[in-house]
Amino acid sequence: MRRPIAALVTLALVGALVGVAGTVGVTTFLNRSDAAPAVTVQRAHKGAAAPSFKGRITFLVVGSDSGAPKFGRGGAAERGRADSLHLVVLDTSKRQGVVVGFPRDSYVPVPGYGRNKINAAMAFGGPSLLIRTFEQLTGINIDYFALTSFDGLTDLVNKIGGVRVNVDMNIRDRVAGAFMNKGPQRLSGARALAYSRARKTLPGGDIARSRHQGQILVGGLATYQAQVAKDPARVMKWLAIMNDEVQTNLPIREQINLALFARTVPPSRLNNVVVPNTTGTAGRASIVRLLPGAYSLFARVRAGQSA
Amino acid sequence: MKAAAQGPERGFNPKTAARRATPGVEQFLSRYLTVAFLDPGQQRTGWRDLLALFDTPVQQAARRDLDALCLGTAATQVKTVRPGPARASVIFLYQGGRAVGATIKLAFDGSADVGQGTGPVRLRSVFQLLWTTKGWRIASYQSQTGASP
Repeated sequence: MRRPIAALVTLALVGALVGVAGTVGVTTFLNRSDAAPAVTVQRAHKGAAAPSFKGRITFLVVGSDSGAPKFGRGGAAERGRADSLHLVVLDTSKRQGVVVGFPRDSYVPVPGYGRNKINAAMAFGGPSLLIRTFEQLTGINIDYFALTSFDGLTDLVNKIGGVRVNVDMNIRDRVAGAFMNKGPQRLSGARALAYSRARKTLPGGDIARSRHQGQILVGGLATYQAQVAKDPARVMKWLAIMNDEVQTNLPIREQINLALFARTVPPSRLNNVVVPNTTGTAGRASIVRLLPGAYSLFARVRAGQSA
Repeated sequence: MKAAAQGPERGFNPKTAARRATPGVEQFLSRYLTVAFLDPGQQRTGWRDLLALFDTPVQQAARRDLDALCLGTAATQVKTVRPGPARASVIFLYQGGRAVGATIKLAFDGSADVGQGTGPVRLRSVFQLLWTTKGWRIASYQSQTGASP
């Protein structure tokens, strides 16, 4: 029997292609012998002290192409390729934040593996190598790591009642199963996943997809805040929802603090951007090269700006 | 007090869970209302006993917000407070078979004897509680005293 799990931790941001996640989720330790946890939330660095929750907190939110049996994608999510990658920086003191999306083919230095596609880092060395890759690339310290899969995103979004997103283009993408018209709408789990996956038919391809994944994250946060503003008791409801979906080793105090923290940054003050880039090739592989503007963006985020 | 509980989908009985956790929170709220409103002398201690009911990270903020959490600066003029009705609704969060968090909506009304007459006492609060090694503590609050806006 697998060890119980459940935590409550982040709820707020959920999203992405494979995408996704939750910045605030919840977990408990229950005896669950069946399905694997759909979402994992943990501290980025083992043994690190919990952040103060009074300033800035950074999440690396990752969607894996594995760990989704409902979609016929086996294996462990944490050993798959990280196909949806977002840095989420929330600053409670300034009540602002930024969601920075990274195309999965971003060609960057991976510690110990030379230059490689960023989405391979997790497959090479698990979440810890992916975290190191991001920290080395951006110079930004990461506090929390959230990992999900197709299953995790759809389950989580369904349980919170869907996420409200302003779909920014008409989409007809058979591969992703995304058929939606432009405009604000509430997306169910399946449609949120489809919106997060659609790429081939979109102008901008992977860049647009990364932006859409960021929208799902921001939409998750907006949904959480709207529900809690209407009824403060929804904090506990969300934490309980996460209970069955999120695996975490965070103490309950930290989980609740995260849930309370997630109320503090208005979604309208969350800047959703994709790291400046251009496409290219390395050998025979299609890759994405980060432009100098990417490093300027990292510097601004390090300096406390919302990009 | 109305109580409900949220917990894991399986093997969890919300009614039983709420019933089990209710006495502890009732005791906590009773303590809160006593030190916040029924004992004006608390003001002389800097509301020490009241602040002790808040989780350490929010004590500083609570100290700044005393006027919205208790008699506050008005306590110097208050001789006694006659308690009126107090109503509370609570949602518990269960993990690992015990209540670990709770959201409480609290309403309290009373009247204060201020020497030359009486005045209304009113509290409307939402507390997010956290179970700690010291018992329930307030981890977050929205609170208002005085007349309704």
